[in-house]
Amino acid sequence: MTESAALPPPRGPLPWVAGGLGLALLAAGSWIGLFEAPAEQHMGDVQRIMYVHVPTAWNAMLAFTFAFACALLVLWRGDWRWDCRLEAAIEVGVVLSALLCIQGAIWARPTWGVWWDWDPRLTTTAVMLFAFIGILALRRFVDDPSRRAAWSAVATVIAYADVPLVYFSVRWWNSLHQMQSTPETVSSPFHLPLRMNAFGVLLLTCAFISLRARVAQLRLREELSPPPPAWAAPARAPATGGAR
Amino acid sequence: MNAPSGVIEGGWEYVWAAYAVTAVILLGYAASLIARYSAERRKAARGEKGAIEVLS
Repeated sequence: MTESAALPPPRGPLPWVAGGLGLALLAAGSWIGLFEAPAEQHMGDVQRIMYVHVPTAWNAMLAFTFAFACALLVLWRGDWRWDCRLEAAIEVGVVLSALLCIQGAIWARPTWGVWWDWDPRLTTTAVMLFAFIGILALRRFVDDPSRRAAWSAVATVIAYADVPLVYFSVRWWNSLHQMQSTPETVSSPFHLPLRMNAFGVLLLTCAFISLRARVAQLRLREELSPPPPAWAAPARAPATGGAR
Repeated sequence: MNAPSGVIEGGWEYVWAAYAVTAVILLGYAASLIARYSAERRKAARGEKGAIEVLS
């Protein structure tokens, strides 16, 4: 890995601009989804959960895909910045996946009659969530930054194998979960709120990853900075010779 | 006896629950990130200030 000098202090307005825009877009899209869009023919009003559930699913998988790309770049380039982005993308992906599972459970109860089922889509999603939680735990337990970067990059490449399984599970196996939503499978009145929320969550994901990578970068700078020289250490008080 | 229509009636409580959970988790995570970023920046600023004092 390169030295800490190659880790400049993070700057720039990206997280604040993307976060503000994403929040505004998500709020507007949710308003349209809740109050303007028509109810679905069979699911009625419950289908309105789609406007937050589907964007969360897309962006959770995007965050893990970005983490996978970061892992490859860590292994190939050995640059600390990609390690910080890897940590950030995994954490944001985990938050979105956990949210995805909760939203899915809330939608499953009125439509399937259960909160959870060990169906291929749900099971592969749970595996994805816990695999990446495991990588965050691994990063906590390894003190050496170089080993931590290399091990978590390898673990990410392995864990990412589950992401295509999540996506294709509804096509490859019999699943309670419906097929992927596309413009062809979703009626046109539903397009606008779905797209607005998809871009809103995408911008929020970019903002979160960018800000979390800055946190990781600041921590790593401190970790990699050389210890102060002995002459700069504060003088110790002389021993008192055990007067007690 | 009426046959079931196959259409889900009502269910707004589930819709509100899903949107509320989404808002709480996304805003809560955003707040936690801003707090962590501010704390790390303060720590880094203290470290740099300390290093300058040692060198001067």
